[in-house]
Amino acid sequence: MEMFLMAAVMSLLAVAVSAVLFAAATHGERPEATSPVKRVALEPQRFFASAVDGAPAAGPGPEAEPVPVEALLLRIEQHIRLEQAAAESFLHTPSGQSLHSRTTSRLVN
Amino acid sequence: MTMAPADVLVGIAAEEAEQVLALGSRIALSAGQVLFSLGDAAHSLYVVDRGRIALTLPMTVRDKEQDVLVEERSPGQSLGWSALVSPHRFTLKATAAVDTEVVALSRAALFDHFAAHPAVGYAVTRNLSAVVGHRLQIMQTMWLREVQRVVEISQG
Repeated sequence: MEMFLMAAVMSLLAVAVSAVLFAAATHGERPEATSPVKRVALEPQRFFASAVDGAPAAGPGPEAEPVPVEALLLRIEQHIRLEQAAAESFLHTPSGQSLHSRTTSRLVN
Repeated sequence: MTMAPADVLVGIAAEEAEQVLALGSRIALSAGQVLFSLGDAAHSLYVVDRGRIALTLPMTVRDKEQDVLVEERSPGQSLGWSALVSPHRFTLKATAAVDTEVVALSRAALFDHFAAHPAVGYAVTRNLSAVVGHRLQIMQTMWLREVQRVVEISQG
């Protein structure tokens, strides 16, 4: 009978110690339990970071904005002037190389 | 009538060149004013005395027709030789890029003068051939360069 009571007391003591340890362990994890909240708080930063990374897919960036018609017309005129200059150069010194020489025109580069 | 030496009058004695220019009438254009439009009946050859003329062609840009500069004419340069070549229709639009003055030489007056002065007619025709031929060579070269690009694009 004494042995039985001793075993029962030891078991209860072990359970109590386990409970205390579990409680302590659980308490130690609380800061981590709040980390999702922090992650949520950090979400906007990640969102913006992702938005920058995904800008081309998310929508047209500054490079993709259409060129104003006036600027496009100026580019066309510049292209024609450069092509005329290249043609003049070819007529001055005709060769296959000068015929197909590259210009700095933004329309073809 | 004193003005910059005209390209169509090169090789002609000064006095004879003056006689040719005296056949014409001066036209003053303010910046942006149209001298002639594409498809207009061409009755006169023009020589730029002052300013600058922009020669443009219509091009569709963003679903809208725009005048795109093809060439420019400065003092001494001629334009509008369609007046002397059948079917006498302008193939470009001419607009004053700045305040400009041109001398308009009518076909009828020129041909009458050439008939009376064949040597002058020959010289003007020769000069005009040089102007037309040069433009043909320039356009031919530009066209070939564009074809080359089309070939490169089609080949990826």
